[in-house]
Amino acid sequence: MEDLGEIVAEFLLESHENLDQIDRDLVALEQEPDSRDLISRIFRAIHTIKGTSGFLAFSRLEKLAHGGESLLSKLRDGVQPVTPATITVLLAMIDGVRSILSSIEENGTENDVDIDSILAQVHAQMNAGEAAAEAAAPAAAAPAATVPPAEASAETPVPLDEAPAAVRPEPEPVEEQRKPIGELLVESGGAQPQDVGSALAQQLEGDERKLGTILLEEGKAKPAAVNEALQQQAPKRSIADSAIRVDVDLLDTLLNMVGELVLARNQLVRGVMEIGDATLVRSAQRLGMITSELQEGIMKTRMQPIEHIWSKLPRVIRDLSNSLGKKVELVMQGKETELDRSLLEAVKDPLTHLVRNAVDHGIEEPERRLAAGKSAEGTLTLRAYHEGGHVAVEVADDGAGLDVDRIAQKAVEKGLLRAEQVPNMDKRDIMAMVFQPGFSTAAKVTNVSGRGVGMDVVKTNIENIGGAVSVDSTPGEGTVWRLTIPLTLAIIQALTVDCGEQRYVVPQVAVLELVFIDGNSTKIEYASGAPVYRLRGKLLPLVRLDRTLGLEVGGDQGVYIMVLQADGRRFGLVVDRVLNTEEVVVKALNSRFKDIGLYAGATILGDGKVGLILDVSSLARRSHLTADADRKSLEGSSRANSAAGTGERLLVTAVGERRVAIPLDTVTRLEEFPRDRIEHAGSREVVQYRGQILPLVRLSHLLGAYGEEPEGDTVSVVVYSEGGRSVALVVDRIVDIAENSTTARRDAEEDGLVGTAVIQQRVTELLDVRRAILAADPNFYSDLENDEMLVEA
Amino acid sequence: MASRQFATFEVAGQLFGVEVDTVQEVLSYNEYTPVPLAPPAVGGLFNLRGQVIAAVDLRVQLGMARKALQGPVMNVILRGDGEPVSLLVDKIGEVVDLDDERFEPPPDTLSGPTRELVVGTFKLDGRLMLALDVNQAVDTYRATT
Repeated sequence: MEDLGEIVAEFLLESHENLDQIDRDLVALEQEPDSRDLISRIFRAIHTIKGTSGFLAFSRLEKLAHGGESLLSKLRDGVQPVTPATITVLLAMIDGVRSILSSIEENGTENDVDIDSILAQVHAQMNAGEAAAEAAAPAAAAPAATVPPAEASAETPVPLDEAPAAVRPEPEPVEEQRKPIGELLVESGGAQPQDVGSALAQQLEGDERKLGTILLEEGKAKPAAVNEALQQQAPKRSIADSAIRVDVDLLDTLLNMVGELVLARNQLVRGVMEIGDATLVRSAQRLGMITSELQEGIMKTRMQPIEHIWSKLPRVIRDLSNSLGKKVELVMQGKETELDRSLLEAVKDPLTHLVRNAVDHGIEEPERRLAAGKSAEGTLTLRAYHEGGHVAVEVADDGAGLDVDRIAQKAVEKGLLRAEQVPNMDKRDIMAMVFQPGFSTAAKVTNVSGRGVGMDVVKTNIENIGGAVSVDSTPGEGTVWRLTIPLTLAIIQALTVDCGEQRYVVPQVAVLELVFIDGNSTKIEYASGAPVYRLRGKLLPLVRLDRTLGLEVGGDQGVYIMVLQADGRRFGLVVDRVLNTEEVVVKALNSRFKDIGLYAGATILGDGKVGLILDVSSLARRSHLTADADRKSLEGSSRANSAAGTGERLLVTAVGERRVAIPLDTVTRLEEFPRDRIEHAGSREVVQYRGQILPLVRLSHLLGAYGEEPEGDTVSVVVYSEGGRSVALVVDRIVDIAENSTTARRDAEEDGLVGTAVIQQRVTELLDVRRAILAADPNFYSDLENDEMLVEA
Repeated sequence: MASRQFATFEVAGQLFGVEVDTVQEVLSYNEYTPVPLAPPAVGGLFNLRGQVIAAVDLRVQLGMARKALQGPVMNVILRGDGEPVSLLVDKIGEVVDLDDERFEPPPDTLSGPTRELVVGTFKLDGRLMLALDVNQAVDTYRATT
């Protein structure tokens, strides 16, 4: 841009803004074809571009804008109706203008842009309109058609800026913009000149009240008159003085410096606290407050409403839904939500992709929608809101929803999941598979989406800026894609942790929860060497930070597990100590450390030392590596087992004196319920569980186990869910998870069991899960009878 | 006669020098943050007025064992390629003005890691100064044996 004259640069900037507005207006115009306001506004904007391009000798641009203007003038004069076809042509014209502008920006010339085909479309549209109009009202149409387009524009009833004025929309001289209120009052007759004079004199003598206030309080002017004068003053100021354009680089520099200032402040405050001098402490606190406000202010300058990137989407949706023959209504909520400029840029493409995907795959064809009892027009909702230091942006459609079974099947086909994992998995975890590279469930590949590129890119892009992506879907009701984005790139919420002798920083967006391991009630267990933790009954793979960093490996007691989520996987990071959460300023890390891959950056900690920010995704990938290795060895051993026995994984429970094993594949969750929450429905015991009524069956009753009821306020249950129904099996105690690698196995002799086996050197009974479930809920399988998903235990 | 200015410093009793305009500043610093899994020549990170600087242990680069970073250590901060890098040295010397005629290529007897870092020898009064190749000196991925 530097090589261009300042005038051209400003023209480009302004025109881009205008074009975005025109885009929005055109799409809006399609919705309300009769809005003369919209037509006039579009007309004015195009006219400005035309005028300026003529002035700057961009003849092609002028010609193109002129063509568009001619068509618009017909719409404006009511000679021709607004039809979708007209809008399409006008949008194409705007695209043409855009490409000329970018050509000017890049090469300083407009010569290699083809405008003839667009102009041909424009003329075709005008002729079509003429033909229609002539047929309808020949007398009215004839003069309009013969008016030379240039003249048509000159005749416009709307007052237009002269072209040169459009180039440099310089404010009028300031004196005229802001007349003193006294003068205004005298002019309007609201106050006498001598009263204003004496009030001014009072001000000179040190009266700090405003002129209007003085006059009011002394009864020299009427409130209405003062108000009117103030209003006369105000709007002019807001146009001329309230906004300036600032170089983004300058803002970035300022933001960096404020970052430094925050750090210096932190260090100073710490030092001053140690000295303990009251005066110094006060000054330091004041400095602290000023710094915080300054930081906030500077951050605000970089904030822009998300509307900036949303504004392009109505156009995207319109074009796409038209080409697909779908009807889509766009709803935007929270478009004033602000985000850091750099983040907006980074979110733009992922968001566009999600929107295209939602229109292409989410929302069904009108016929299918009608058949499903929905309105023919689908709704796409964009929602943005603040949530705990983050901004959430949602793309929600009311389409068919994600097909979880298909995703699971596909994931198994692609080797991303093992078939036996699937029944155990949370619905959301299965849906998250769509973010894996190369994953696409689209039956047909369209030129919009379905090629298996995209969702993983969306995820990578969002994670690169420290955000997260998730998806949730209800079959038949729609899908919600959710982006969680930090407010700014430069400052993040983070947890500081200790590991070894060093302090590390973990971005808080990845942290789900913290668990303290005391070694008694909570402990780290090992599955053939791989550390795991039972988090509410589910095994959480653990990564030891000290081991990962190649440091001395510490003990398993008195440590913390940070439950982290990245890359759609959950894992626990074992650290020595979790200190606190704080806002840290992210510093780029020297490029030589990028290859290590474990660090996302560095920051200056409160004590002035450098702290490394851990890259959670890369830690996750590391944990997968070990998980994959484990899986391989597990598969190896299970192959060995299948030769000898079944090799299935079992949940071993205690029921009275007996040990009962349940295939782990059939277990959805392990829960503990307070004893007093058990209620009765008929002869059955039930508990309320996640908005459902969960029937309970006591294995001790089912199996006729004798022995005392265990003491305690809670009962341990094994929850089994399928197809939205759940039952809970009450056991006395969860003992362990074991591999069934034994050969000693006998078939069942007793009701409710499928057999007996020796597991961990003890005789253990194998539960007939189907029977147990039917005992709890006789109707459990009736809805699923045709489904093959039944797990025969 | 052309002459050049060198900032000099000592590591293990040997005098080294780099051209003055490659040096941003010289300072001593106390606390370094180790970077686990980084190449051994990385001494650590420190905070230079809010900027995170990587300190390269010249001792390790020269093939010597690394010394524990305790107490203040002298840093020669080089402008580097866009991002400043620091060389950890034992002692800072003077800035010397040297004529090109005092320059000689490194002696053939010089071998090992040092040879790769040194571009030449300057004959000073009473001692020799080895001129370092700045890029090689801060390249922590250079194989050190």
